[in-house]
Amino acid sequence: MGNYLRNIWETITTMLTGMRVTFQHLWLIRRNNVTLQYPEERWPRPERDIGFDHSNYNVIRSRLHVDIDDCIGCLKCERACPVDCIKIDTVKVPNRGEDIHSIGHTGITANGTKKAMVVSRFDIDMSECCYCNLCVYPCPEECIYMTGGPNSEKHEIDYEFSQYDRNDLIFRFAKKVSDEEIESATSISSERES
Amino acid sequence: MIVDRLIEWFPTSAAWPGITFIVAVILCAVPVFLFIAVYALVAIYGELKISSFIQDKVGPMGQGVGLHAWRWGLLQPVADALKLILKEDIIPSSADKKLFILAPFIVFIGAFIAFSALPFSQTLIIADMNIGIFYILAVSSLGVIGIILAGWSSNNKWSLYGAMRSAAQIVSYEIPAALSIVAVIMLTSTMSMQGIIQYQSGLIWGFLPNWLLFNNPFTFLAFFIFFISGVAECNRTPFDIPEAESELVAGAFTEYSGMRYAFFFLSEYANMFVVSGVAASAFMGGWQSPIPGMLDTPGWGLFWFMSKSMFLIFMMIWFRWTFPRLRVDQLMDVCWKGFIPISLVNIFGVGIWHLIVG
Amino acid sequence: MGIVKGDQMVLNIGPQHPSTHGVLRLKVVTDGEIVSDIEPIIGYLHRCFEKHCENSTYEQVIPFTDRCDYIASMNNNFGYVVAMEKLMEIKVPDRVEYIRIIMAELNRIASHLLALGVYGLDVGAFTPFLYMFRDRERILDIFELTCGARLLYNYMWVGGVSHDLPVGFVETVYGFLDYFEPKLKEYNEILTYNKIFIERTADVGVLPPEVAISYGVSGPNLRGSGVKWDLRKDEPYSIYERFDFDVPIGEGTVGTTGDCWDRFYVRMLEMTESAKILRQALKDLPQDGDVHQAIPKKIRPPKGSIYQRTESPRGDLAYYIISDGSPQPYRLKMRSPAFTALSVLNEISRGWMLSDVIAILGSLDIVLGEIDR
Repeated sequence: MGNYLRNIWETITTMLTGMRVTFQHLWLIRRNNVTLQYPEERWPRPERDIGFDHSNYNVIRSRLHVDIDDCIGCLKCERACPVDCIKIDTVKVPNRGEDIHSIGHTGITANGTKKAMVVSRFDIDMSECCYCNLCVYPCPEECIYMTGGPNSEKHEIDYEFSQYDRNDLIFRFAKKVSDEEIESATSISSERES
Repeated sequence: MIVDRLIEWFPTSAAWPGITFIVAVILCAVPVFLFIAVYALVAIYGELKISSFIQDKVGPMGQGVGLHAWRWGLLQPVADALKLILKEDIIPSSADKKLFILAPFIVFIGAFIAFSALPFSQTLIIADMNIGIFYILAVSSLGVIGIILAGWSSNNKWSLYGAMRSAAQIVSYEIPAALSIVAVIMLTSTMSMQGIIQYQSGLIWGFLPNWLLFNNPFTFLAFFIFFISGVAECNRTPFDIPEAESELVAGAFTEYSGMRYAFFFLSEYANMFVVSGVAASAFMGGWQSPIPGMLDTPGWGLFWFMSKSMFLIFMMIWFRWTFPRLRVDQLMDVCWKGFIPISLVNIFGVGIWHLIVG
Repeated sequence: MGIVKGDQMVLNIGPQHPSTHGVLRLKVVTDGEIVSDIEPIIGYLHRCFEKHCENSTYEQVIPFTDRCDYIASMNNNFGYVVAMEKLMEIKVPDRVEYIRIIMAELNRIASHLLALGVYGLDVGAFTPFLYMFRDRERILDIFELTCGARLLYNYMWVGGVSHDLPVGFVETVYGFLDYFEPKLKEYNEILTYNKIFIERTADVGVLPPEVAISYGVSGPNLRGSGVKWDLRKDEPYSIYERFDFDVPIGEGTVGTTGDCWDRFYVRMLEMTESAKILRQALKDLPQDGDVHQAIPKKIRPPKGSIYQRTESPRGDLAYYIISDGSPQPYRLKMRSPAFTALSVLNEISRGWMLSDVIAILGSLDIVLGEIDR
């Protein structure tokens, strides 16, 4: 009988305790609220000023971006990708480090490297990407990076990119060019020079 | 009351008494149905908001572009209702079609006809029967037939489990609920809802309103037994084992969608109101003002009745978002080993108290 | 699975079911509500990770380990890099070790918060689940601040970590701990000591220590049965021997030792211990040191094999790596603690009710990503 009554007593007290906790939350909702009203308010992304050189660290992973003018076509990022979502094709240029205006090819990267290749295809399938950031580190020209990182003055943070068609998630960074186009372009320019 | 007056007032009553009766009943039923619909929208909104506040979030707020749920998400329940109405009506191919279609209506009828004996105010009661409270207890357990039908006809194991659990639960919890009402009837010596409420007028102990809740310790206990059994009859947490979502997916309603599911939903909320209304009338003075003699007009009576019922509904919502769920055998334990013995002792106690004190 | 008798019924729980913690199918033979046999059917989340690792370089394996136990990715990374460093005999700087401990313990708290919250959901309490998720979000914020990812970090690398700690990290974690430790009391009030919760979990699904050991159950599930076994204490890896913490075990406070409540409460206590480790680690964290210093240019371990186990939030997480000297592993096997925990389900939930099966399954805290790999 004592056990029976104690059981009832425990039930009542522990339940009242629980109800007290929930009522406190109900009462103090203005103070405790954690919801953000999404389209109007946004999740504050971590501070970009994180105390070390941005070129070493790329803190926000939201979307891959390539500065294609700086790409030398070394394929290091393609090899680093664990899920093979980066596809690169390159075409050799006859004269290393020379601009080819007709196909919009710049010969020298921002770091001053002379390019030996025209990148004719640089596709990143963001629906396949696993956001591991492994492709960013091997890049010698620092031209592939996650937006929101060090160069995000150039590119806005894009954490809510979405598309209606899955094919639109394949980002094509390079313009398609064939060998013949490059040959003809370079021959024209060399003729003009001579 | 209203039905009687309508029948009296109706000019053709002498010629076709049957038709008069039907017209009078329909004239009463339509406003009740509208009331249930509107009340359900309010209660769903309340549930959304209260649950959100308890969980440190703000609930529907109608943010964004276009016609959203308006300010503070006030239109959210309307949007939900619209969505349920517009949804495709799916009947599983292996279901027992007739019973499947019939089940939601039976569940709803059980909750719906109980409203006819609820005293909303001094004058606003559809039929003040001399067995009013008995009638409500009787018809509100009609819904269990619908739930069993739903579970059986869905031809789904989860539904069957839910239906069986529900049947056992509702039948068991009828008993403590009825026994604690017996305590009320012993004191008031009437089963008419208005009679019970009128008994509770005036003051007790000099300062408290003469509600049965405060009448004596036994009725105080009886109120809690009745209310908790009522929560169990409505299948709400912590007694929501028939639709225990983490165990039985959605219990008896697993195969239902769209409008038919909405009917189950509506009848759950209607049942909540019936239980709260009966608890408010039988123990908390119904339409009586908390300060006797003040604001005692029929209009205020409606206000007092609604606020008491809504307070009890708030309690149910509060329970739901606080407690875990009981297991099916523990549920029976609570009923048969806890509530029924206590309410039996309670009846005895009320009798003794009535003899000695009152 | 035995013969289904006339009055028995086969019930499929899952693969689409609200409380299977992933994509799991339980083939349950029931007699009314009483369960007489359970056969867990796994493989719905199989992604061939172990085979895939054989075609990836050692760096590329790390994102895959993230995705095995996606609730505790840091701990999975940790196990892999500890194994690799042992294989390659790399000595990592002190700062890296401390950063790793901080991350692993933070993730242990996050993982336990999810386990406990979802367990509340399994027994029908919705609100504690959201309270715990709210606090878990704060830990994920700390991870996002550090490495930019919230769930799948790829943070620990062989020989180092991918990012150094940002400015103000230590203060942020201290702030979190000051916020978090009082919250434990609230969880206890609303869930742990609630009578209904105790009724649902105490004496239910008792896992005796002998059965647990014979099935190879580890981690909090084993400790819930009263066996004091924690790899951080008993086989210290990394720098765990430098920290002072207790190993909480189940004592049968409200029921029998090894019941669901004990398994639940051990996790609750472990969060306190993790907070203790975190405070010590933050205090001793070396201020300078390059986190990239010990990262090898090319990861090409010598011929040989390694079996290294670590304590993940779910138990003994072990990696067995065979290297043939090439930049790709010859074979990589992961010993999953959740798999052994799931295998004991049939043993301990026979004879209980359907609702108890859900409660027992929740208390074992399985992650299907890790079981199927």
